[in-house]
Amino acid sequence: MHEFSVMSQIVDAIMEEANKREAKKIEGVTIELGEFTMLGEEQMRFSFEVLAKGTMMEDAVLVFRRTDGEIECACGYRGAMSSSEDAAHGSTLILECPQCGGGANIVGGRECVIRDIKMVVPDV
Amino acid sequence: MDKVLISQVGFSTMHKVVTVDMMKDILSANRKLADQNQALLDEHGIRAFDFLGAIGSGKTLIIERLIDKLKGDGKRCAAIAGDVAGDDDYRRFSAHGVAAENISTGKECHLDAHMVDHALERLPLDDLDYVFVENVGNLVCPVDFPLGSHKRVVVISVTEGDDMVRKHPAIFAFSDVVVINKVDLADAMEVDPDSLATDARRTNPNAKVVIMNARQGRGIDDLAEALGL
Repeated sequence: MHEFSVMSQIVDAIMEEANKREAKKIEGVTIELGEFTMLGEEQMRFSFEVLAKGTMMEDAVLVFRRTDGEIECACGYRGAMSSSEDAAHGSTLILECPQCGGGANIVGGRECVIRDIKMVVPDV
Repeated sequence: MDKVLISQVGFSTMHKVVTVDMMKDILSANRKLADQNQALLDEHGIRAFDFLGAIGSGKTLIIERLIDKLKGDGKRCAAIAGDVAGDDDYRRFSAHGVAAENISTGKECHLDAHMVDHALERLPLDDLDYVFVENVGNLVCPVDFPLGSHKRVVVISVTEGDDMVRKHPAIFAFSDVVVINKVDLADAMEVDPDSLATDARRTNPNAKVVIMNARQGRGIDDLAEALGL
């Protein structure tokens, strides 16, 4: 349930950039969500709808991209985590190194990045 | 520098559509503040631990037990109580004669590094050895918000069921110590603490697992050892 506060920060950042460039309208925003964040796309979209209403980004098209998580192990492994064979529970997070069975650390996939913003600006 | 690509989309001659490359990580602002909190604690030689877990898992009592143990060893502790509302936990910590700070998050489902930063400002950092931070009872949202503590402890209890780890893997993956609490109730709940421990070790082989019954004080020494106290 922290999507609203995260999206508030995203909307603030978009507005700051738009004002800096004297934009008239925001047409689109691309957001990358790391696999290991606890942010849900549907809740993010709903929060955006509420926050953007009546602003220059009201009609903006939101594009979400999932970025893969990455783990790293002392044995030298760096890459995706093991997939769970526990089908009843679907995919789960396992830090057991797929190469050596040791404990790996998460090195990527915790980000929530505003990738780019498409905006209408004065042609000077 | 931002790369500006001018699109060919037809607009008026007065305006153009551009795509601005941002690459701005919204969660990094919190991570940066968390690093600053840790630097502040390090400057004062303080070790900090944050406790996560569901409502009623036993976080407050475990911190109280640790405070009593450390006070007995002549160590100086403080506690930060994070809750959506009320000051119940704050009053419980204060009753142990330690410095305590209350954070009522209002509508937020988690503490963030900024709130903890302000609580630290109000604590007598020169006179402390350890700071305990109790997060809002929640197993989801705190994952995205490190606070700057040195170790993270996640507390679950057998009364929450035997599938807790599998249902909330991320919080276990991002914690250093997993406490399985209320094991005195395991038989009544028909929950095997060992199966919870196995799930926790699989999700995070780096984490230490501590079996506990905080009410009777069982496992407190093991937790202290896991935290390097």
